[in-house]
Amino acid sequence: MDLIYDILREAIAPTTAAFALAAIGLNFHFGLTGLLNMGQAGFMLLGMYGYAITVREGGPIWLGVIVAIACAAVFGLILGWPTLKLRGDYLAIVTIAAAEMIRYLGRSQNLNDLTGASTGIRGNDFKGSFEMLSPFPDSQVTFLVWTFHGTRSTSWWLLVVGWTLVALMLLMYWRLSKSPWGRVLKGIREDEDAVRSLGKNVYSYKMQALVIGGVIGALAGIIWALGASVQPDSMGRPTTFWIWTLLLLGGAATIFGPVLGSILFWGSLVAVKGLASLLIPETLLNTQELEPFSLTLVGITLMCLVIFRPQGILGDKKELAFND
Amino acid sequence: MTKRIDRRAIVRALIVFVVAALAVFAVSTIGSTAMADTPDAATAVAQTSAIHADAETTEAEVTVDDTAADAPGTNRIAQNVFNGLVFGLLLALASVGLSLIYGTTGLSNFAHGEQVSLGAMLAYFFATQQPVSLPLLPWEFVIGWPLWLAAIAAIVVAGGTGWLQDRFLWSKLRKRGVKMVQQMIVSIGLSLALLNLLQWWIGPDRLRVSIAIEERRQVGPIQLGDTTAVSIAISIAVLLAVAYFLLRTRLGRATRAVSDNPALAAASGIKVDAIIRLVWIMAASLAALGGILMALYDSGTKFDVGAKLLLLMFAAVTLGGLGQPFGALVGSLVIGVVVETSTLWLGPDLKYATALAILILVLLVRPQGILGRAERVG
Repeated sequence: MDLIYDILREAIAPTTAAFALAAIGLNFHFGLTGLLNMGQAGFMLLGMYGYAITVREGGPIWLGVIVAIACAAVFGLILGWPTLKLRGDYLAIVTIAAAEMIRYLGRSQNLNDLTGASTGIRGNDFKGSFEMLSPFPDSQVTFLVWTFHGTRSTSWWLLVVGWTLVALMLLMYWRLSKSPWGRVLKGIREDEDAVRSLGKNVYSYKMQALVIGGVIGALAGIIWALGASVQPDSMGRPTTFWIWTLLLLGGAATIFGPVLGSILFWGSLVAVKGLASLLIPETLLNTQELEPFSLTLVGITLMCLVIFRPQGILGDKKELAFND
Repeated sequence: MTKRIDRRAIVRALIVFVVAALAVFAVSTIGSTAMADTPDAATAVAQTSAIHADAETTEAEVTVDDTAADAPGTNRIAQNVFNGLVFGLLLALASVGLSLIYGTTGLSNFAHGEQVSLGAMLAYFFATQQPVSLPLLPWEFVIGWPLWLAAIAAIVVAGGTGWLQDRFLWSKLRKRGVKMVQQMIVSIGLSLALLNLLQWWIGPDRLRVSIAIEERRQVGPIQLGDTTAVSIAISIAVLLAVAYFLLRTRLGRATRAVSDNPALAAASGIKVDAIIRLVWIMAASLAALGGILMALYDSGTKFDVGAKLLLLMFAAVTLGGLGQPFGALVGSLVIGVVVETSTLWLGPDLKYATALAILILVLLVRPQGILGRAERVG
């Protein structure tokens, strides 16, 4: 019973919303345009830093969000400028390298005063002003089966904000992907040269997609940070790979794929851990080994997904971006 | 094939580089008060590693080097360049395999870093005097072989995993006609699975493959330990053997033919699939050897050592020219020297970042790398 409650809780938790958001951003890159961005965690980390540092230094929330968005946009521009003309796997290597560079810089001792080096920025330093806005009571609140705190950290307030943001971004994705602009992006995904021959500036369209997706990633980073704290090492390569896994699980190039994928991914991760600790005796798999055990399964899931069902749960095989 | 580098590309590269440098500079002046308190880099490093006991493996290693470099008669720059060359040689062992795989199959293998870790972990598994066990099996046992035997066993087993991978995964994918990008994501999944499998199997702690403490001797302006000297000899010998294999033997020539043009190679009677399987076995064994030597050189290893090296390998391979095994060697040496000398003026926690900066710069100016042939890559 506890296990089912845990799964339900994880399914709507702010982390799930944050990863859904990041996956929506990646959906702009990969699903819509076919860009292999392997550095989504870098965009998230920049968003976190932008927001947390601005707010910690006394800036208002809106400024923090703007700084986060600006950081991600500039990062996208710098990243995209040299690489968007290169072949797909080059873009993958450069984005992954750039994201790791952001992480190395963030955890560097030289920037201790700014980013807090590898310990990061404590949640209490920047969460206050956001939690003050909360309309919910400052205590535990139970709604249906879920119990969360009203305002603090992983709270109803953050939950409402996070999922509202997810809904807005879904709406935006839906409208944009149906627009003439979205059709050009899909055209680039299917056949770049064909689109170029129609007189479209492929490079500029790719850049727009990269920046928009990256900005959504930065928003995801803010939501994630508000639920926990800013920690550069939590935004390493594995995080990007999880986002890829859950996007491919739900279905790339679909509207609800990222959300479904995120809920399923985190729900089943809790389920696997719970079931494994119930069914496999402690002598064979102790609690310390549960985490790597379940993440091993994540890796295998990603492999199987890509090989056997690359369109994911909701996807359409014709709408696939594996064109290289 | 033109020797001329596109001028626009250079301008673009310069601008990006200047913007990035300015950004880093601006950010670090804002946060530089921390640096002002600490007079020299060595103490900063010592503090870093004291505060974060579980910090990056390499930081601890650098601390050792830095304190050693303070000894009289040791030239710090020469020592760092030398360390860089050693690191580059060890890195080359791993990246040559990565480059061979890319050359023959076109796959950017993201799981190659885990092959390096696997080698180190296997060597630890066979050599340690501590009780070890296998995942999901309740028995604990001690193997405790001597180091050389453990290393050979580890390399053989790692080569076996290369064979297994190609036999049951990659060759099947090639037969099914799975696209390259899809295969790349499969390799990412494999790297995620292997990384966590290693952590599950061996645990998250830093391990020592050999308990012996290395004695350092003064050779000219640098200090050199016995283990390091042996590592250098082994890696040079192995790299020469690989070069001989590629240039002088029939199989090696066939390998290069497959790299050049698989269809043409197949038409002239070369068994492309057999060659690719051989390349996988070679790549996995070389990576394992690199991992073992790296573990000895750093006097310690961890389940994620290869994951940290993966991007350096990509940087080396890209720098030398994707799919060019000798390019990978040159690239590795350059990356090694840059990584180690960058610690002279940047913090040691930024040393990998410099290698990644080089990777990005190379892609800006000369995407085909130093030794690569000019071709359209976009």
